[in-house]
Order: sequence, then structure tokens, then C-alpha cells
Amino acid sequence: MAAVARSSRGLPIAGYLALLVALALAAAFVAVMAIVLWLPPRPPDVMRADIVAEHFQAGYDHMRIHGRFIDDRAMSWRVQAEPPGQMHLPQMHPTQHRLAARLNLNPRQVRIAAAQIQRSDVFVFRVREAEEMSRDTRREVERLRTEGRGVIIERAPEANPEIERALEEHGIAVRALPPPAPVPPAVGEASGGVPTPPTPPVPPAARVPMFAPAPPGVVLISGFEIGAQLPDGRWLVMRQGRNWAELSWIGRATLVIGGTLLVLSLLAMWFARRLTRPIRNFADAVQAVGVDPQSEPVREEGPRELRGAARAVNTMQARLRALIADRTKTLAAVAHDMRTPLMRLRLTAENAAPEQREKMAKEIEEVEALVASFIAFARDDPAEEARVRLDLTSLLQSIADDHAEAGRNVSFAGQERVIITGQSLGLKRLFSNLVDNALKYGASSRIKLRREESAVVVDVEDDGPGIPSEQRESVFEPFVRLNEEGTRGAGLGLAAARSIARAHGGDIVILDGEKGALMRVTLPA
Amino acid sequence: MALMADTPQPPRVLIVDDDAAIRDGLVDVFTRAGFAAAAAGDVAGMERHLASKGADLIVLDLMMPGEDGLSACKRLSGKGRPPIIMLSALGDDADRIVGLEIGADDYLAKPCNPRELVARARAVLRRARDNEGATAPGESVRFAGFRLDIPRRELIDPDDVVIPLSAGEFRLLRAFVERPQRVLSREQLLDYAFDNDADVFDRAVDVQVSRLRKKLERPGGIEIIRTVRGEGYLFAVKPTS
Repeated sequence: MAAVARSSRGLPIAGYLALLVALALAAAFVAVMAIVLWLPPRPPDVMRADIVAEHFQAGYDHMRIHGRFIDDRAMSWRVQAEPPGQMHLPQMHPTQHRLAARLNLNPRQVRIAAAQIQRSDVFVFRVREAEEMSRDTRREVERLRTEGRGVIIERAPEANPEIERALEEHGIAVRALPPPAPVPPAVGEASGGVPTPPTPPVPPAARVPMFAPAPPGVVLISGFEIGAQLPDGRWLVMRQGRNWAELSWIGRATLVIGGTLLVLSLLAMWFARRLTRPIRNFADAVQAVGVDPQSEPVREEGPRELRGAARAVNTMQARLRALIADRTKTLAAVAHDMRTPLMRLRLTAENAAPEQREKMAKEIEEVEALVASFIAFARDDPAEEARVRLDLTSLLQSIADDHAEAGRNVSFAGQERVIITGQSLGLKRLFSNLVDNALKYGASSRIKLRREESAVVVDVEDDGPGIPSEQRESVFEPFVRLNEEGTRGAGLGLAAARSIARAHGGDIVILDGEKGALMRVTLPA
Repeated sequence: MALMADTPQPPRVLIVDDDAAIRDGLVDVFTRAGFAAAAAGDVAGMERHLASKGADLIVLDLMMPGEDGLSACKRLSGKGRPPIIMLSALGDDADRIVGLEIGADDYLAKPCNPRELVARARAVLRRARDNEGATAPGESVRFAGFRLDIPRRELIDPDDVVIPLSAGEFRLLRAFVERPQRVLSREQLLDYAFDNDADVFDRAVDVQVSRLRKKLERPGGIEIIRTVRGEGYLFAVKPTS
């Protein structure tokens, strides 16, 4: 029952919008959930301090051997006179001391600073990406090996077995690292450049799980800076660079968000169409009603507000139709009541003496012309007649010919076949009115037609006294006549002519003619 | 007046109008012009008269109490009815077109010149009499890609462009399409296409024909109105309705 009621009345626009917003929120929620559930967690840019130290060792060795920085996109390297800022980081002491020992340096010659230090047992994020940094180390170690320097990599108990295997393939010895001691190890415990025979590979450790905490005792750092003094007294400093592993994560997250946005925008488009189609239809239907009150009623569809508007328009259309019917009936009655006595008079005149008959006939004709112009003006509805493509040249020529046939001096000049779109009866009335008007004030009328770029221009000129410029607007008002005495007509001809011209998208203006007035009609071509 | 000499019986005209003065006046006018005129006050009276005495022509008022002229005309159309001239207080072009489209043979607005009414009555009777090939009222006629819309008095060319015609051109073209593929002399054309009392000369026919030809002229098209030397003109194509 509720569904029936809703479908008959439609959802209000606010309802549609609320639905869209709700759908957008739901989509956003789904996207967020997808990121949380489907994407692995954002890789941290924390790294294991021991591996970072190893990495630094490789870079330091490289610097000492080759005199230039190691090729490394993960870290930024520089040499400076001043030591990097030392921080008091008790957690870092083991690493610092071990690194100093490996580099054959005094612990004071090694500095480690970090923005964040976390104990691995608190920081439960996977560290695989951080470990992958050691690949760079591996590459460097291999280079050292090919240069004839024996290398031993100390394997952390939990190190990635894949790396281990890869190292072994290259003949690099791997041996287990003793568990980190709480105190700095003794000097000379380990140092680069001491060849040691390869030890048999230890059985591969279990694969590091994604969310496994780093092994206990390992310190995780980020935003770090490691420096060690070079033999010349300057400092080699390595700073953590951009976290490149993050990029693929950003890429995947972008994909999820982009996909959601795409779905959302398609949804929004569909909604917009669904919402605007009835509005467009409504506009078209209202337009049709405006042009032709007899047209189909507007369909009541779409949002509730629109249905209400459609109903209002339909009511208005019905009233309009009734009004038009009323007007037609009234006009017919007026025409009948005025013309019947005129016809009687005309028949009576037939019995009069010939010269009296002509005089009476002329009077009756004048009254009839008045009645005709009243009725024509009152029923004037320029929108009623259909528009067709018509030859304006032939139309103007036929008006001139009809007048010429009746013995009046009306001429036409213009190019052949000027085709415009318009109402044939309406345009005929327009130009007939202008010519009639010209003949009212002068003895002759000349019609000239020419085509301009986007318009056709028709000049109707007379040889009368002309129209003073201050009256050139007012003569187009209904019931305005130029000179009151001796003129016939109700003063409606020009008003009707202008309303027809304007209904065609054109206009009429009055200019000075060669002798009398010049009415210039411009119509869109 | 040639028409009157041809027919031993005067043509019977029935005037239908609710206004008694107009009725009597028109009966007078038609009687003086040599018709046998009768009158009826409404559509029912008209039907009684048609059933009992018949008529050759009806002059029908449009607005009458009871059934109006339009619906009577519509109802009578198509069953061998006498030709109808509508005489109406509604004189607009639009009203005239409606009247002609509904099947009236001619349409005149009140107040009209009684002599013009008589002239039109004769023209309608003549058209009804030699109705071989005559166009039925309210229709349009096609020829050579053109269409002549008789109620609207318009020519529509092969490109669907309306070519307005002057009254003289329309009457002339109508005379031609009603008598196609026949040589028509200037006198005949004058008779068919111009009011009897209009003082027009043969020369006027030539002028109208040349204007009409111009409007019917199309590049590559055939010559629709041919000149037959010393005899007159010939409408060279067969029109279809």
C-alpha cells in the first residue's frame, strides 16, 4: 500500500538527494573498508636498526675503497665537516658500539640519531620491506666479493632465508649472529676484510610472517641519521630517504579510491539523468502547451514537486482551453450580431437608386472593415498557425498582384525565391496590413524585398505625408491613428502587424521613405 | 448569360439563413438574377425542402440556432448533394479555410456584395455542371511534384515550400487543373477564372499565365502550361488528387 502511494506521488527532490548522499556515503564506507581489509597495511618506514647499521657499513666501506658515495636510492649520503647531532639514545648503544667495532672506529666516532625509536615488541608491524633494504647491501657485498675481498655476513637469527640463499649462491658466507648483547661487544669482534671459510648453510628459517613482530631485542627506528668519521676527519652521514615501498601501497590505495569514485560518479550521473529527464520532458511539454493549448496534457511523472507542477500546468491548460473556447464563442457571437445587420443593410441598399446604393455600399464596407479588424485583433493568436517554409517573394508578389488587379497602385521588387519559415496566413496579414496602411495615407505603395546575411528585409513605402518621428512608436499601439479626421480603420492594423512580426522573431520599424513613410520589416532568414 | 440560354429551367437556389430580412433580401436578389429561389430558416427546414423539391445550389448560413451550417455541410458532403456556398459572419482566412476544407464549394463573408454572391453562385453551378475532371472541394490536387491546396489557395512546390498565389493566379491554376490536357482559349479562361463583371481583357490572361508559369518553373522541370499558337493554353500534365 505504501509502495503504491509512493509511486503515484513520487519521491520529493530532497528524497532523491538524500538517497544519493546515502549512496555516496555507503560507497565511501565500502572503499574505506576495502582499503582496510583488502590492502595490506601501509608499510612502515621504520627499519631495523641492526640492518640499517649493516647498510651504513657497506656505504662506509664503499666510500673508503672508491672515494665516492654508494649507489643508493633508499638513503641519502653526504660528507660534512661537523658530526651529526648526537642524541642520548641508550637503546641504540649496542648498535652504535657494534657498528663502531665493525668499522674499526672508536664508538665516539659513530653517531646514530633517530626521530623515533621503538622496541620491536611494541611495534607490531611487518618489517619485510625494511628487510628488503638489505638487498642493496647484498648487491654491494657481491661487488666487494668480486673485487677479491672476502665478506662474511652475519645472519640475524630471524633473517630472511631468501636473502641468505641468494648470498650463498654468490659464495658469500653466512653465519649466525650471536644474540644481541645488552652491553657493547668487545673491539675486534668483527670487522670487514677478514676472510673466513664459508660455513655450511643453516637450515632456512621460517618465512617472516606479514604481521610478525620484529625479533625481540631488535630496535626499530625511523627518521634516523647515522654518521661515522672518515680517516680525513670529516663525517660520512647517511640519512633515511624516501620510503619507496610506500609507493606501491599508495598506488593500490589510489586504485581503490579511484574505482569507488568512478562507480560513484556513474551513479551520480544516472541519478542526475533520472532526476532531470522528467524536468526536461516537463519543460518541453509546458512549451508545447504554451504554443498550442490544445496539445496533450503534461505527463505527471518524476519527483513529487514536478508532479505537482505538472498538475498545476494541466489545470491551467484546461482553464486556458475553456477560455479560448469562450473567447471563440464570444467573438463568433459578436461577429454574427454585428454582421447580420450589415448584411441586411447591404441587401436593402440593393433596392436603392444606383448612386445611393454605391454610397451605402461604401459605408457598409467601411463599417465591415472596422468590425473585421476588431475581431481579427481580438482573436489574434500568432501562435495558432503552423509554421511552414514559404517563398516570401511569391507572397509579396501575390499581395501586390491582388491590389493591382483591383486597380490599386502597388508594386513589388525583389529577388526570386526568398524562402523563410513562417505562418503563411499570418505573414500575408502582416504585409497586407502594411500595404493597406500605406494606401490609406498615400496613393501608391512599393514593396521591396532584399536578403541580408541572417535576415530578410521588406520595405513597404508609401507616398503619403510620412510619420513624424515622435509618433513612430505610438502608431503601433492598438487604437492609435495618425490623423483622426477622414481616416478609416480602427488603428489595429499596425499593432497586429507588429505582433505577427515579433511572433516570427522579427520586428517592424518606421523610417523616412523617399516620399512618405517607410515601414521596415526584418524577419530572421 | 450564356449559361442561362443553355438551360431551359432556371437553376434552383435554396437560401438557408435564420435571419428573415437576409433570407428575403437574398431571395429577391437571386430571383432578379434569373434563379428560382427558395428559402429555409434552419437546417431542418433545408432538409425538408431538399427532400420535397430539391435544389441545384444551397446558400448556407454558418451560425444558426439548432444545427449549424458547418455540421450540416459536413453531414451532407459526399452523397450527391447540391453544391454549397457558405455565407458566414466569420470572415477570417482561417474560417474560410475551415469552411472549404469541410466541403463547401465556396465561402463568402457577410456582408458581401449581393452581385458577387450571384456571380460566385453561377461559377459554382458551372463547375458542378461540367464536372468532368473537376476537383472536389476541400481537397488538394497534385501535379508534376506540385500540390495545389484548394482551401488554402496555396501552391506547395516539390521541395515542400509554400508558394502563395494571388487570387487571380489561384483561379487560373484551378481552371487549368480542372481541365487538364485540353486547349483552353483566352475567352474560356476569362470565363472560368475571372469574375464575370470584372473588366479584364485577353491581355490580362497572358499576364497571369506568365506569372503562374514563373511560379511553376523549376530547373530541369517540364513545361506545365504550354502555349498553343493562335488557340490558347494547355495544361500539359495530368493531375491526381
